[in-house]
Amino acid sequence: MSSNITKPWIDTRLPFITAWRAHFLTPNLAPDAPYLGTLPSLITTALVFMALSGFVLSVHYDPAHPFTSLQFIDRNVNNGWLIHAFHETGTTMIFGAVYLTLYRIMVTRAYRAPGEVVWLLTVAQFCLLLLVGYLGYLLDGGAVSYWSLAGVTTAAGNLGGAPGAISNWFFGGPDGPGTLARIAMFHTLLALAIFGIVALHYLAKRAVTAPPPARGQVSFHPYYTAQYFVAFVVFALIFAVLVFFAPHFGENTLNGAPGGPLVVPATVSPPWYLLSITNVSHAFPGMWGGIFGVIARLAVLFALPWLDRSKPDATPGALYRFLVMLLALDILALGLAAAATPSMLTSILAIVFTAWYFLHFLVFTPLVTAMEAK
Amino acid sequence: MMRSRFGIIRFAIVIAAAIAFASAANAADTLNPPHWQSQGIFGSYDIAALQRGFLVYQSNCAACHSMNALHYRDLQSIGLSPEQAAAIASNVKLTAGPATLDDIFKDPHPDITAFGGAIPPDLSNILDARPGGLNYIFGLLTDYAAVPADITLLPNHYFNTAYPGNQIAMPPPLKDNQVTYADETKSTAIQEASDVTAFLAWASQPNLNIQHAIGLRAVLFLIFLAILAIATKRKIWRETV
Repeated sequence: MSSNITKPWIDTRLPFITAWRAHFLTPNLAPDAPYLGTLPSLITTALVFMALSGFVLSVHYDPAHPFTSLQFIDRNVNNGWLIHAFHETGTTMIFGAVYLTLYRIMVTRAYRAPGEVVWLLTVAQFCLLLLVGYLGYLLDGGAVSYWSLAGVTTAAGNLGGAPGAISNWFFGGPDGPGTLARIAMFHTLLALAIFGIVALHYLAKRAVTAPPPARGQVSFHPYYTAQYFVAFVVFALIFAVLVFFAPHFGENTLNGAPGGPLVVPATVSPPWYLLSITNVSHAFPGMWGGIFGVIARLAVLFALPWLDRSKPDATPGALYRFLVMLLALDILALGLAAAATPSMLTSILAIVFTAWYFLHFLVFTPLVTAMEAK
Repeated sequence: MMRSRFGIIRFAIVIAAAIAFASAANAADTLNPPHWQSQGIFGSYDIAALQRGFLVYQSNCAACHSMNALHYRDLQSIGLSPEQAAAIASNVKLTAGPATLDDIFKDPHPDITAFGGAIPPDLSNILDARPGGLNYIFGLLTDYAAVPADITLLPNHYFNTAYPGNQIAMPPPLKDNQVTYADETKSTAIQEASDVTAFLAWASQPNLNIQHAIGLRAVLFLIFLAILAIATKRKIWRETV
């Protein structure tokens, strides 16, 4: 008991403060850190921000009258337009950061042993975000969201077996007055589940991060806090530019029209962050083809650590890095083709770009990495 | 030192003159080509144009088009006093009696057979909901033309080069001198189209002025903060080695 006397009063009752101080002030971190290393923290902060703005929106949102209630938020709730723009643009910021994270891990090949689980959790977070983002876009209630929901529920109703049972449980049957209430619920629930993945990601990352060289180690504060501050301010700056000067960035304009059976958009294209997925699903024929396309599109990402045939300690080769850059351009092109007005050309391009996507993962990645490993 | 200071002052004078003359040039002719003050990152609404545009809406468009997201009280943000807005509302006859400030703009519910089954769309959000925005709406109101010889129109339709498919069920809505502007602006059909387009832009994005005002301050502040943060970071990390 005598040792307790030296500790602060609060620490004997809530043993947290000393550990927290030690965590921030012990010099045990590498003396150089890339700015892109702050991306996971930026994503987590943005997720908290989305949860808060989403909470405010959910207070006024009415799933029975989605479009009208959002108009009410924009026009009649104090600063409602700002909260709405925050939530809308926050999505863009999160997906921008997530796409950049995925690209960075692929270029640096950090997914190789022992980083496989960190990579799997990053991709799992990406998948959940895609689903939550899609559900949020359905909640918008505009003409494009309305027809996307109608298409998805009709397709789900035609599925048989276990997939049919799951989708029936999820959507509750064909698109009707109660469907958006369910979707609002899932949007919230799955968004909160993402925080679970964030926690697992943090633990996994900590377990595999190599200890820094013994010489020249620095403490978190003030060195890393100063760097994180720069990253947060720049992130906030990009966010502010988008919120105030391009609040509908990457969205189909026709979603500004209220959804209804009489307004049918020629192009039902989702927001930018879903475009490349949409186009892969269009490239495969039939209803099952579309489902297969989306699953395969994400499954090759999960499989990447085992598609790479190089040794864990081998230095990354220039050819592979070039291929990853090509892949990023390919995904960009897939998105642009999906956003364009449908034509013969866009559907041919969609097939070509989709083929390149799968060629990259299933043929080039094992081949090039095995060649470079020699 | 003196030289550079005078250089800055001279530069500021040139910029100020350029801005002043540029806006004077715009005020002289905002119709050809059409120009809207709300466009661009520093854009804000032209209050006089909004008030003229509301007059055009109220005396023409409102006979067929609803604006279900707007209340009469919202007219205060286009520069009308509460008394003026209340007077406008009290001239509108709803089924329950004269409208008040808290009533939604009167929904005319035109006869569904009036335009061969075509339903006049609600105009609350029309600029956000149409690709092309301001220029599309202005074009739609002004680009009516004689039917080319090789085209047979659907019954009760009109030829409009701005409308997708070129066949629109809305008759040409605006004519010269259809309204009398209080500020003695000449009410040509093009002026009316430009004003009502500005009004509809405000209706779609009523928060644009404050959005741009906050945005400009936020961005300037964050740029300043970013410079400060980068300088601090560099200073702190310099001490490690």
